[in-house]
Amino acid sequence: MASSSKLRDRSSSLFYVICYVFVLIVALISLIPFLILISGSFTSEHAIRFGGYSLIPKEWSVSAYELIFKTPMTVVHAYGVSIVITVIGTFLGLFITTMAAYVISRKDFKYRNVLSFFFYFTTLFNGGMLSTYIFYIRYYHLKDSLWALIIPGLFNVFYLLIMRSFVSAIPSALIESAEIDGAGEYRTFFRIILPLLQSGLATIGLFIALGYWNDWYNAMLYINSTDKYPLQYMLYTLLQKTEAMSRIASSAGIPVMDMPSHSLKMAMAVVATGPIILVYPFVQKYFVKGITIGSVKG
Amino acid sequence: MIQHKRMMLASIAALAFTGSLLTGCGKAKGTSASSGETTNLVMYVIGDRPAGQDKPDANFNELLKKKMNCTLTVNWIPWADFTNKYPLLFSSGETFDMAYTAAWLNFTSLAQKGAFKELDTLWPQYAPKNFARQSDAAKQEASVAGHYYCVPTLLATYTAYGPIYRTDIMEGTDWNGKMNTFDDIEKYCDIVKKTHPELDPIDIYAQGSEWDDTYMYSIGYRSSKNATNDFLFYDPEEKNPKLITYYECDKIPQFLDMMARWNKKGFFPKSALADTDSTKTQNGKAAMRTHNIDTYQGYAILHPEWKFKYQAMNKYVTHLPFTQDAMVISNTSKNPEKAMQLWDLITSDRDVFDAFFYGILGTTYSVNDKGEYKVLDTNQYALSDMWAARTIEFTRNGEGTPEDYQTQRAGYETFMKSGPEAERAVKFEAFAIDTSKIETEYAACQNVHQQYWWPLELGYTDAKKGLADYKAKMEAAGIEKVRAEIQSQLDAYTAALK
Amino acid sequence: MERQLKVPDYRGKKYAALLSMATPAIIITLAFAYFPMSGLVLAFKNYRFDRGVFGSAWNGFENFRYLFQSGTGWLITRNTILYNLLNLFTSQALAIIIAVFITEITNMAFRKVSQSVIFLPYFISWVIVGTFVYNIFNYETGALNTMLKAMNLSPVNVYDKPGVWPWIICFFNAWKWAGYNSVIYIAAITGIDPEPYEAAEIDGATIAQRIRYITMPGILPTIITMLLLQVGRILRGDFEMFYQIVGNNGQLFNATDVIDTYVFRSLLQNSNLGMTAAASLYQSVLCFAIIMIVNAVVKHIDADYALF
Repeated sequence: MASSSKLRDRSSSLFYVICYVFVLIVALISLIPFLILISGSFTSEHAIRFGGYSLIPKEWSVSAYELIFKTPMTVVHAYGVSIVITVIGTFLGLFITTMAAYVISRKDFKYRNVLSFFFYFTTLFNGGMLSTYIFYIRYYHLKDSLWALIIPGLFNVFYLLIMRSFVSAIPSALIESAEIDGAGEYRTFFRIILPLLQSGLATIGLFIALGYWNDWYNAMLYINSTDKYPLQYMLYTLLQKTEAMSRIASSAGIPVMDMPSHSLKMAMAVVATGPIILVYPFVQKYFVKGITIGSVKG
Repeated sequence: MIQHKRMMLASIAALAFTGSLLTGCGKAKGTSASSGETTNLVMYVIGDRPAGQDKPDANFNELLKKKMNCTLTVNWIPWADFTNKYPLLFSSGETFDMAYTAAWLNFTSLAQKGAFKELDTLWPQYAPKNFARQSDAAKQEASVAGHYYCVPTLLATYTAYGPIYRTDIMEGTDWNGKMNTFDDIEKYCDIVKKTHPELDPIDIYAQGSEWDDTYMYSIGYRSSKNATNDFLFYDPEEKNPKLITYYECDKIPQFLDMMARWNKKGFFPKSALADTDSTKTQNGKAAMRTHNIDTYQGYAILHPEWKFKYQAMNKYVTHLPFTQDAMVISNTSKNPEKAMQLWDLITSDRDVFDAFFYGILGTTYSVNDKGEYKVLDTNQYALSDMWAARTIEFTRNGEGTPEDYQTQRAGYETFMKSGPEAERAVKFEAFAIDTSKIETEYAACQNVHQQYWWPLELGYTDAKKGLADYKAKMEAAGIEKVRAEIQSQLDAYTAALK
Repeated sequence: MERQLKVPDYRGKKYAALLSMATPAIIITLAFAYFPMSGLVLAFKNYRFDRGVFGSAWNGFENFRYLFQSGTGWLITRNTILYNLLNLFTSQALAIIIAVFITEITNMAFRKVSQSVIFLPYFISWVIVGTFVYNIFNYETGALNTMLKAMNLSPVNVYDKPGVWPWIICFFNAWKWAGYNSVIYIAAITGIDPEPYEAAEIDGATIAQRIRYITMPGILPTIITMLLLQVGRILRGDFEMFYQIVGNNGQLFNATDVIDTYVFRSLLQNSNLGMTAAASLYQSVLCFAIIMIVNAVVKHIDADYALF
């Protein structure tokens, strides 16, 4: 007994060493580029051009941030738009997705595979930018509307299927016993399933929220008023402007203009990303092991 | 029973929920409408809308109401989006009147596919002053398959291509000041490499090098599509010009050797095609760049202290197509006549042009005694991005334009009339290619060109082997079919010249 | 007796209730995915702006030709599939390993911090990553060559060695997505019933045994779902990633070109909506064929794990 437990101790401490070292390495590889990004946003353009990027600014400068916050109202507006669509979209989207995931996870539902395929098919075939654009603008009258930013992200089939696998992990015995007790589907869903889905809801909720926060594509297509631009779209405009203009280099007519500097792009990236990074730690408390399933017993 | 009710309630709620999602409230900004009295026209341009643009817009509309009893709403498509949004503008059925177009917006390809309104009667009838001042070449360039589809700019631009180079860094060195041949360029770069190792002597970045075009222009060839990054050239001096490719031109091997030598000497970075920074020259990281004369003007205004100079290397300078900047009228326009009249007004009335293009004198811009303009607050204001509105008479140079900018341009005009060869080159100005029958092969050739020629031209791949590879791949991509088609168009054009 | 009579009535009500729960999702899918799908016809049309999508003339398979001209079709398809397979396995494997290790960490502070930090790469857009890549690998001033020179080794021009780039791309893809994907696995692991773990503890299982016999089977459904989802996208390349990392280096194209970058370059100077649609349709049809086969195989093995 004693020797085997010592063996166990040694192998487990070896394991823990590998574990911690590996995670540490991964964490560093993930963290360092981000630190370089932050450092770049505080570095003068000249230093970046001639010295490249570094962990600590070679030549400190806040001019990039000054430029961004010169018109603070635009940034405030953009934050507002991003927050509104993220909150509304996540709440609605999570609700719709989870309900649908519950439906297609029910093994006694005859049509679940048909429905799953119905949903999944849309990830394979896509009508294309033009057709989708025409439908949104012409038939659904969503031009320049915040709904055009919310609707596309409401129901993502990937999240649906991942959520389905979380729902499936809940023992069907619970659902059966609720059925026997005479509960309808809605009551079962709200009273029994939802409380047991904490980590699933947290995960998918986080992904939906991130999807909304990071989306610039829909803003590019459907939004024309500058006061409805979300934050990521502002970043995108900044980053892609240089890209686009460098591609049309051989045109005679376009006057030479000052391009957004490297440090400006970095600063904008920091501003656009900032808040959402703070959200994740809050969500973490739902990733706590094994809170839930004890209710099957007895 | 209670279950029933709850279920129905829930389903109704769900349906109502999703129903409300679908009735989004959105209005198109500035719909083209004729409210009996004042017509509102809508124009699309490309660019990022300046923060303070409302002021000059309002000022312009006041003036416009008086002169024409209509107003103009200008919508801006940001730089980051134009690749996607510009074609969408014409295909989504949105109602608007006019838009900017250019070669880099694929004017010809869009016109061939019916994106724009045909202007055969509209233009001469409602914009007679503009129509009368257009050169024959411009009118020919504006037509696709025999019909007019755009109104080109009245401002001449030139095919001049050559090094824009800093001379401040040459002070104190033994540079002889000459910049007429490629040898001179090499000498310049050698000196830069020696005295200023932190600079790139030559500015090359991810969009490829334009030294191949500069070289071809310097030995008298014209590009078949009248733009850089081409793979078919012809010599206008020939009686019946024949299209040639890079691998058939006998001077190219020596060009490739030169570029390989420049690469070895380190005139440009070895990984230049991965460098997305297009602003190296204007930001002081590079000493020289080959481009057109307007870029030279831009750099000189931004950094007079670097004492930029310019030398066009072309054997013959001609006008660039006037469709470099042009105006198109949309098929969905409800007031095409008014739109055309507006254009005529802008391009012929000085006050209207100034209010439209520059803004409010004293608030958004100022003019010095040389007639040069300056934008008064670059954070709030900028010039209009409807560059097609510029005319030779109305356009002003920016403050700080170097003296020789005007003299060089005047020099080009004189040169174009200086003799039979120069005049013959000018005759080919208006030749534009129609790729509608060979779209697939043309796209494939373009791909091969970018994949095999761009690195070869910069000396990144071996000159002999690279050229052979390029030839093989081009042939596989269908260059002969492309050449046959374009040659027939060129032959037809040449025949019509006689 | 009563129960038996209830059954048919009950099932109808149950199905109605379930369907009504799925209704919002169904309506959204119909309105915003299926109706616009009619635009797929563009792939077979010679699109003219003045005739619109449905008024334009048919032109058969003409729009597909440019994909296969000069033998490129096979190359870009092969590249796309290989890259996706490589990226799929590496980033999922990495995500699983990270998730397993993180959930084994007992020091809560370390765990929380690392869980947050591994997420960061997701936020950095490819445009910025592209500039970082250039700053590492460029010949003259790149970090790699600076390091080599400091060690008295000769500098390397990475940009003319096409063979290295699949690994570089794989690395950056894993870097960007492993943290994001690991969250899913972490959530799945925390959803596993703690009972078997307690039993294993009592029985004296080692950590490795614990992971192998409890954790892994516990998250197997999630793993299969994730793998299947990735397989369903096997013909679609992440355009932004390839474009920003590789840039316009023609020498690398044979090794790094995927369908999306090839289409982008071909159609840059030619706004041909039909040709764009054709490329997308080509990718869709191949993805469809592949996932149908793979899903059927998985279904055969264990019906619960299939996607549909």
